[in-house]
Amino acid sequence: MSQVTRERLFGFRHAFDDRVTVVLTLTALSLLLLAPLLIVIVTRTGNSSSEKEKELWDRYRSWIWLALCILLPILAGAFWTILAVATLSFLCYREYARITGLFRERTISLIVVVGILLLTFSILDNWYRLFVALFPLTVALIAIGGLMPDQPKGYIQRVGLGVLGFALFGSALGNLGNMANDWNYRPILLLIIFAVELNDIFAYICGHLFGHRKFVPNTSPNKTVGGALGAIVLTTPLFAVGAHFVWSSTALDTPVRLLGLGIILSIVGQFGDLMLSSIKRDLGLKDTSKLIPGHGGILDRFDSLILVAPAVFHYVNYFVGFAVGQQQQIFIG
Amino acid sequence: MQPWNLQPAHDTGLTPNERFRSVRRESGLLESLAHQVCFSLLRTYFAVAHRLSIVGRDKLPAHGPFVLAANHCSHLDALALGASLPPHHRDRAFPIAAGDVFFQTKMTSTFSAIMLNALPMWRKNCGPHALADLRRKLQEEKAIFIIFPEGGRSRNGSMMRFKHGLGMLVAGTDVPVVPCGLVGTFEALPPERGFPRPVSIKVLVGDIQRPHRLIAGRCER
Repeated sequence: MSQVTRERLFGFRHAFDDRVTVVLTLTALSLLLLAPLLIVIVTRTGNSSSEKEKELWDRYRSWIWLALCILLPILAGAFWTILAVATLSFLCYREYARITGLFRERTISLIVVVGILLLTFSILDNWYRLFVALFPLTVALIAIGGLMPDQPKGYIQRVGLGVLGFALFGSALGNLGNMANDWNYRPILLLIIFAVELNDIFAYICGHLFGHRKFVPNTSPNKTVGGALGAIVLTTPLFAVGAHFVWSSTALDTPVRLLGLGIILSIVGQFGDLMLSSIKRDLGLKDTSKLIPGHGGILDRFDSLILVAPAVFHYVNYFVGFAVGQQQQIFIG
Repeated sequence: MQPWNLQPAHDTGLTPNERFRSVRRESGLLESLAHQVCFSLLRTYFAVAHRLSIVGRDKLPAHGPFVLAANHCSHLDALALGASLPPHHRDRAFPIAAGDVFFQTKMTSTFSAIMLNALPMWRKNCGPHALADLRRKLQEEKAIFIIFPEGGRSRNGSMMRFKHGLGMLVAGTDVPVVPCGLVGTFEALPPERGFPRPVSIKVLVGDIQRPHRLIAGRCER
C-alpha cells in the first residue's frame, strides 16, 4: 500500500486540509449548538403542545448522534467512511427487507448481504471494475437463489424485491463509498450530504410558505409544487457555490455545469423522498421503523441520498473523474 | 401471477426495546445467526460440562408448530431443552420466559431476545390477549414453544401442580404437545445457587400428546 493511499484511508491529520470541510463542519456544529435555543424560542412563543415539544427534543438529540456518525468517519479517513457507508447500506436494506417481508426469504436476503459485503470490499480495494461487475453478478445470483425453495409461486415478487433492494441500497448507495476513493473526498461527501439535508428543509419551508398546489397527492399529500420548486431554487445556487470551491479549476468548474449538478441533486433528492413515500404508502406504513427517535427509521432519514449518490457520482465522473491518480486494487495488488 | 403475499414484519412500528419484549418479534438474518451460535455453544457446554444425553429425540415432530412442556427446577432447563433441539428447529424455538425476570431491564431483554430467542410471559397480568397472541404466533409461524407448565421453578426439585397456561394455549388447536423430563438440572443449578455444578443432565422426550380433546372455552372468556 502506497503512502498516499495509507494517508487517504487512515490519515485523520488531513481532516481539515480543505477549507470547505472546515466551513461545513463548523456550520454543522454551530447549528447543533444553536438548535436548542431555537427549540426553546419556538416552543415558548408558539402554542406547541408538550407532545410536539418532546418530538422536537427527540429530533434534536437524534441529530447529535447522526451528525457524529456522519462527521467522525468522514474526518477520520476514507477507510472509516467506506465502512460507515456499508453500515448505512446494511441498515437501509434491513429496514426495506422487514417492511416488505423480504427478510423471510433467507436465501435472497443472504445473497443481497453478501453482495453488499463484496461491494464494500471492491470500494475499499478501489477496484472499480469489480464494483461494476457485482451488480449483474448479484442480480444473476438473486435470480438463481429465488429458485431454491422450488416454489414458482411468488418467484417474481421475491426476486424483484431482492434486485430492487440490492440496486438501491447496495449499488446506488455504494457510489457514495466510491467517492471516498478520491483524495479530496471529505468536502465532496460533506457537501452532498449537507445539500441533500438542506434540500429537504427548503422543500418543507417553501411548501409551508408558498405551497398551494399539491404535487403528487396520492404519493405524498404534504408535498407541493411550491415546495419542490423552492427547494430547487434555493439548493441549486448554494450547492453550486460549494461545488465551485471543491472542484475549482477543473472541467466541472463552469457556472452551467455547476448549476446543472445542483439541479440534478435537488430534483433527484426529492424523487428519492417520493420513492420511499411510494414504498411506504404501498405497504400502508407511516415510518420504516422507530430506530431514530423523532425521525422514524434510517430509511426515512436517508431516503433522499439513495438516488442522489449515483446521479452525482456519474455526473462528476463524466466531467472530472473520481479517484484520479489513486492506487487501484490496493489489497489484491 | 401469484397475488402479493409478502407482509411486513409483525413487529414493524415497535422501538428496538419494545420489539425485544414483544411476542410479535420476528428474527432477521443476524438474529437467526445469533440464536444458532448461542445454542451451538450451549450444546457444546452441556455436552462437555454436563454430559448431556437426549433419550427419544426421534419422537420430536419433523417441523413446527409444537410445544415442548417440561418440569422446571433450574435456570438450566430452557437452555438444556433448546440445546437438545436439532439445528433446523433452533430458529423457530422460543423459550417462554418469565417477563419479570428475563425482560425487566433493557440489557436482560436484549440478551434474552437476541441470544435465546425467548418470549416474555408476564405472570402477574397474563390475560387472554397475551395467550391469544402467543397462540397466533405458534400457529402462523409454525413455532416451537418451550414451556414450563408449573409456571415457575420448583424450590425443592419435586414437580409442582400445573397452572392453566399450557392448556389455555393449545386448547382448540391441533398443535401437538411433547412432554419432556429434565433430570439432573436441579442438582446442577438449584434456585439458590449462582453457578452450575458439573452434574450429568438427561432430557427424556415423551410421546406426543394431541390437545384436540381440550375445549377452547376457558381461554376465550
